[in-house]
Amino acid sequence: MTLVKRIFLQREYGVAALLLLMIAVVTAVDHNFLSRQNFLDILMATVPVAIVACGLTFVIVLGEIDISVGSLLGLTAVVLGLLTSLDHAKQPVVVGVAAVLVLGTFVGLVNGVLVVFGRVPSIIVTLGMLTALKGLMVILMNGENIQNLPDSVRFLGTGTLVGVPIPLLVAAVVIAFSAGLAVYTPLGRRLYAAGSNPHAAELAGLSVRGLKLFAFTYTGFLTAVAALVTAPRLSVIEDSAGKDLELMVVTAVVVGGTSLSGGRGTIAGSLLAAILLGSVSTALIFLKFSAATYWERAIQGGFILAAVLVDHLARRDGETP
Amino acid sequence: MKKRFAHETALLALLFALLAYAKFTEPKFLALDTQRKLLEELWELALISIPMTLIILTGGIDLSVGSAMGLCAVVMGMSFQRGYPPALCALLALVAGLAAGALNGFFITRVKVHPLLVTLATLAAFRGVAEGMSGGASVEGFVETFKLLRDPVPALIFVAFVAIAAWFLNAAPGGVWLRAIGFNETSARFSGLPVDRLKLRLYALSGLAAGVAAVLYAARFNTAKADIGDGKELEAVTAVVLGGTSIFGGRGHVFGTVLGLLLIHETREFVKWHWSNEYIAIVLGVLLILSVLMNRFLGDGES
Amino acid sequence: MRLLERVVPVVLLGLAIAGCGSNPPAETSNSSGPAPASTSPASGEKITIALLPKQKGIAYFTSCAKGAEEAAKELGDVELIYDGPTDGKAEKAASMIDQWVLKGVSAIAVSPNDPQVLAPAMKSAKEKGIKVLTWDADGDKAGRDWFVNQATAEQIGNALVDTLAKDIGGKGKVAIITATLTAANQNEWMKYMNIRLKKYPGMTLVATKPSNENQKIAFTATQDLMKAYPDLKGVFAISSAAFPGAAEAIKQSGNNGKVMVTGLSTPNDMKAYVKGGTVKSVILWNTVDLGYLAVQAAHAAVKGDLRTGAKTFKAGRLGEKKIAGDNVLLGDILVFTKDNIDKYDF
Repeated sequence: MTLVKRIFLQREYGVAALLLLMIAVVTAVDHNFLSRQNFLDILMATVPVAIVACGLTFVIVLGEIDISVGSLLGLTAVVLGLLTSLDHAKQPVVVGVAAVLVLGTFVGLVNGVLVVFGRVPSIIVTLGMLTALKGLMVILMNGENIQNLPDSVRFLGTGTLVGVPIPLLVAAVVIAFSAGLAVYTPLGRRLYAAGSNPHAAELAGLSVRGLKLFAFTYTGFLTAVAALVTAPRLSVIEDSAGKDLELMVVTAVVVGGTSLSGGRGTIAGSLLAAILLGSVSTALIFLKFSAATYWERAIQGGFILAAVLVDHLARRDGETP
Repeated sequence: MKKRFAHETALLALLFALLAYAKFTEPKFLALDTQRKLLEELWELALISIPMTLIILTGGIDLSVGSAMGLCAVVMGMSFQRGYPPALCALLALVAGLAAGALNGFFITRVKVHPLLVTLATLAAFRGVAEGMSGGASVEGFVETFKLLRDPVPALIFVAFVAIAAWFLNAAPGGVWLRAIGFNETSARFSGLPVDRLKLRLYALSGLAAGVAAVLYAARFNTAKADIGDGKELEAVTAVVLGGTSIFGGRGHVFGTVLGLLLIHETREFVKWHWSNEYIAIVLGVLLILSVLMNRFLGDGES
Repeated sequence: MRLLERVVPVVLLGLAIAGCGSNPPAETSNSSGPAPASTSPASGEKITIALLPKQKGIAYFTSCAKGAEEAAKELGDVELIYDGPTDGKAEKAASMIDQWVLKGVSAIAVSPNDPQVLAPAMKSAKEKGIKVLTWDADGDKAGRDWFVNQATAEQIGNALVDTLAKDIGGKGKVAIITATLTAANQNEWMKYMNIRLKKYPGMTLVATKPSNENQKIAFTATQDLMKAYPDLKGVFAISSAAFPGAAEAIKQSGNNGKVMVTGLSTPNDMKAYVKGGTVKSVILWNTVDLGYLAVQAAHAAVKGDLRTGAKTFKAGRLGEKKIAGDNVLLGDILVFTKDNIDKYDF
């Protein structure tokens, strides 16, 4: 098997190759694309997708799905705002952070309980949550944007620690922790075992239910973490917080190579795909090709189709998937 | 046998409870004219929900239908702008829908990619092509011909869709095939069923339904634009799963989807009528989860 | 199983009957169906006015609703309904109008998010004798009696271009961050902005980007524009989510004063940026007064106090308001700057 084929056999490498190709093309047009600032901006814009994808990768590896993350991020952002804003409850930042983490974890747990013990398919549970949480958020906001976040809260989104923006640090910790969990701990191995064959895993004495409960709860918790570092980046919290996030995260995870039937997929793949899809828009701006504005979504969709087509062509002569 | 339709019974009970409550609190809401006018809102969603039911029965999903509606509307609008006769414009929209659906089908059956991934991609791609072709502008002023397609034509088309789908599921061998694919695709293949051909046709049909829905939408609002059908895919999936079709495939029926559609529609309209818009989301979300939970307690097990 | 097979056809049959039944009483004033409520209430009866925003739950329309409630309270005989889709979808707004027609309200004031989509519903409401007004943005003229006009699309487009031209000295590269690529109102404004930009040959429009009504996307797009066009001078951020997003991007990139941004927003939402120097001018009108005037005008239209040909009408605390043709005029577009923004609280 040629090296090229080996590369494309792993979707991670395919996505990485596509990303490099895009960077090369855009940089040829405008070298500013490769500037440190742009690099940072692209990473910062990917932070919420990256953080949530760490949890969602586990959920999808287990053969389940969670599409409530966008609404949950919006709701937790609004709760953070209402608790800490100087126009509202004026609580210290610690209270806000704690409340948001508890809320996110709780919603994740409820998702998990309904899926595991209520035996409701996860797409229905989280579709219901997606709708209900968004509704709750609109009612909580009462038609007004939340402003005047105290500096201590804004610091979570805009501050830096030893020169690195806090959101990036938090994302790095989450990624390192999740990847470590997946690769080096028994829990991680169980996740993949249960995902690739739940019945065999059950027979081998693994608690598939417990693992699913963990994956959903962890995703809820991470969604709250993502809200903490992304909502305060902007000065106003409004009803667009978390909009379309579920679509971006699910797309990133599946484009990144996580199999929807469970058992296969890495966090690295999800992250690369998140960066690739997230920077298409930036790339188009740098290409200064203004007619492309209206074709942006078509290009994004085309990228995904191209990725799977390449994947398929590489596989056809290789091993069976 | 009683157990088998526990879910549908539960939906009917919920629907009747809602209508009974409406009868006491808002008698005008139940008037025939009111109901008829409000139903106009439903038909486009209803049309795309029928092929969606069949697709979900095979264990697949089509998240691109809403975007396909936008694409079809733009194709129709732009051909109308070029002065093509209205019937041809509508036909082109249907062809565009069929082609869009067939593209999904091609990727799913030939390239063997999971339907969720394929249709997530085309969700973006179809909408993007619609936006690119139209530059975001709308085409207006469809001629009187399209008036023919207004109420009650959409209702009749929907009834025809349901009748054909029900016939297919109950009488034709195809119904058994669909369920077999949904339960276990590999064994369905080994049993010699034309799995790929059937799936390809279902996705093409879903695109075609999106085309019909787009034409009806344009006839109703006299406008064709790239944003038509935005978010309809999730509404359709909601109606199908609320109607008791298993998201894993194999189990379910279009009759359940009809009930799901009605329940969603009546709930949404009544919440608007009686309370206010911002409660719709919460009520629908809770309803969705409750209906499935209720189904569990009634004992209709699903692994 | 048999139960279901019996019930479903009945339901379907019911649907079919509902679908194929008698023609809707659209053209005729009296039909054999259940009678629609009387639309011209006798004196002493409450007048029901329905006020439809483009999107319920956003700050702009919430402030309009405050003024509307104020007017309803002052008038005394008004029952106000303020409702609309929380996602801003025009077809959902159209079905709101349908519901109100069926309920039999006296007047409907519509802010159309997509005039074309709302036109059929507005027309059928008007044919049933309900007073239909547009406010905030105009709709299909055949479907409404009056337009409570705070600014036309042309005036908004001109004001945006003129204001940014003033802020950046009439020359340099500029970009637009819009709502969605298909947003009817924004597309209409952009049409007039492009015409107006010809007046300023020094200004070149380099890019138009959608924000999809998402503050984060507006933020990122503005960042990218400033990097790709290091000599960018100004940004038009023409949706409620885009404006604060763009302003925040300029502030965080340290381009305060170097890149100017303008757009439409309530003063309260942009106060911090105006005082911090990121934004020189915010364009809007008095939204509380706009909601107030919409209800006053709807009330007067039902009462017959708003007559075609009249030059003015008495609008409560706002005093005599000018009428031009079928437009009730609120007054001029306001430009909020550091000097006057504290005077407004909405």
